[in-house]
Amino acid sequence: MSDITAPMGGKIIDIKVKVGDSVNEGDEIVILEAMKMELPVVSDDAGTVKEIKCANGDAVEAETVLVILE
Amino acid sequence: MDIEDKIKELEIRKEQARLGGGQTRIDQQHAKGKLTARERIDYLLDEGSFEEIDEFVVHRCHDFGMAEKKIPGDGVVTGYGTINGRTIFVFAQDFTVFGGSLSGPLSEKICKVMDLALKNQAPVIGLNDSGGARIQEGVVSLGGYGEIFRRNVWSSGVIPQISVIMGPCAGGAVYSPALTDFTVMVKKTSNMFITGPQVIKTVTSEEVTAEALGGAMTHNTKSGVAHFAEESDNAALDRIKELLQYLPQNYRETPPKIKCTDDPNRIDESLNTVVPSNPRMPYDIRKIIRPVLDNKTFFEVQKYFAKNMVTGFGRLNGIVVGIVANQPLALAGCLDINASIKCARFVRTCDCFNIPLVTFVDVPGYLPGVNQEHGGIIKHGAKIIFAYCEATVPKITVITRKAYGGAYDVMSSKHHGGDINFAYPTAEIAVMGPDGAVSIVFRKELAESKDPEETRKKLVEEYRNNFASPFKAAELGYIDKIILPEKTRPRLIKALNMLINKKESIPERRHGNIPL
Repeated sequence: MSDITAPMGGKIIDIKVKVGDSVNEGDEIVILEAMKMELPVVSDDAGTVKEIKCANGDAVEAETVLVILE
Repeated sequence: MDIEDKIKELEIRKEQARLGGGQTRIDQQHAKGKLTARERIDYLLDEGSFEEIDEFVVHRCHDFGMAEKKIPGDGVVTGYGTINGRTIFVFAQDFTVFGGSLSGPLSEKICKVMDLALKNQAPVIGLNDSGGARIQEGVVSLGGYGEIFRRNVWSSGVIPQISVIMGPCAGGAVYSPALTDFTVMVKKTSNMFITGPQVIKTVTSEEVTAEALGGAMTHNTKSGVAHFAEESDNAALDRIKELLQYLPQNYRETPPKIKCTDDPNRIDESLNTVVPSNPRMPYDIRKIIRPVLDNKTFFEVQKYFAKNMVTGFGRLNGIVVGIVANQPLALAGCLDINASIKCARFVRTCDCFNIPLVTFVDVPGYLPGVNQEHGGIIKHGAKIIFAYCEATVPKITVITRKAYGGAYDVMSSKHHGGDINFAYPTAEIAVMGPDGAVSIVFRKELAESKDPEETRKKLVEEYRNNFASPFKAAELGYIDKIILPEKTRPRLIKALNMLINKKESIPERRHGNIPL
């Protein structure tokens, strides 16, 4: 099980996965808007999406858990 | 004793020294997936080139019954040899002898090769695998560390110094690697810390494993103490051989130039489409770096640390260059504390060793945040300025996209001594991005507008067209030339050829006072 966290503070503008999806290492999980850029947050692990802890439009701080994989 | 007996005696003693701590300990070393000190040296150096010295040195400690336990070599193998035909000095701590722990005589052996390396102006490589100070020796051991550290400092910037951590490296032992130019760590078998997990638990009640506290990936991702993380002893030693090809023997020389097998005039059309037309979209700056270099070979340094800054070596028409680049893919490529430290250190390393710098710029600015401000981004960010302004090696800059605000200045700008500054047509060089600038400059117009959104859109577009371009900077001579991305390689090579005899000196002084 691993957590996918926000690399920096920003706003969630797209969530690319839903609960139950299987993801591979390097897959884009969430798009975070920060420094006027649309940054893909990618998975460091392969796994299945267990829980999504953020919603579109959320402002998040660095290190916030966005998605939990198992 | 006739001559034959004397030779026999020598052979016996040599054999004893070769066995180090004995076969059982060697087997234990192998069981951990580690090579022995001598196996490591044999693998690292050109075959048959290693000349060992001081193989019969033993400790002089009489306390704690140590007089009965003496092993020739005393826990370190030292000497000199060649790697790809170039002289290097090497010491390899031998974990099979007293756990590689540092005695007075052991440190004297290390100091002897360090002195030889400095006098003879060739790199020194330390293979670290040691339990730390030899407690039985008391303060003699501490004195030994101090002697090594001073030599590290005196050699800094004179000869390349490289450390490989291939086992434990704790307490005082960590500072020798920390003072050297590059540190390679072997995954799983190596760790580095000032105080280990047990002490931490006693003092602060924090529970942490040695691997999490100071393993290879910890120091490659979090602390930035190490530059490379490798899967095995052999992989770590291979990494050094590769690294040495990008370094000179000493500060008076340049790195070896090799015959270039790649066309210096090679045009790469793929470069025209790497920078996305939408300025909000990130891209991998390495897609620009690699195609530009000879044989598209980029040797990345500190790959895992501060990913928003990319550093490494490559060649242009056979000449070694140091590459520094913002990475839009990570943290939008903005400058933060870690990226600043990584960049400044690398720039200074290149300047020490006559390695020209090529800087690719796509930076939206400094990372905003309380943590950054309180963590000292002001003084850490200043390190980049210091490093670039102080560097007298040839400096070439390519602005691929954003160069905003103070971040424009610090990334090898003309004002900081950039020799040739290029920009792509996609460059946006301005004091700030269109959105921010419009909000400030046209505050009144926006407030009075009947349709503020529409007005804003129009003004942002106008600003983008007029100011978010390379032309204003080119009109002022801050950019020497606006180049097509596909021609980056030939342009860089021509600039580098022109700059190859660059002579510049900064005002005389004892030494600069870089903000630390």
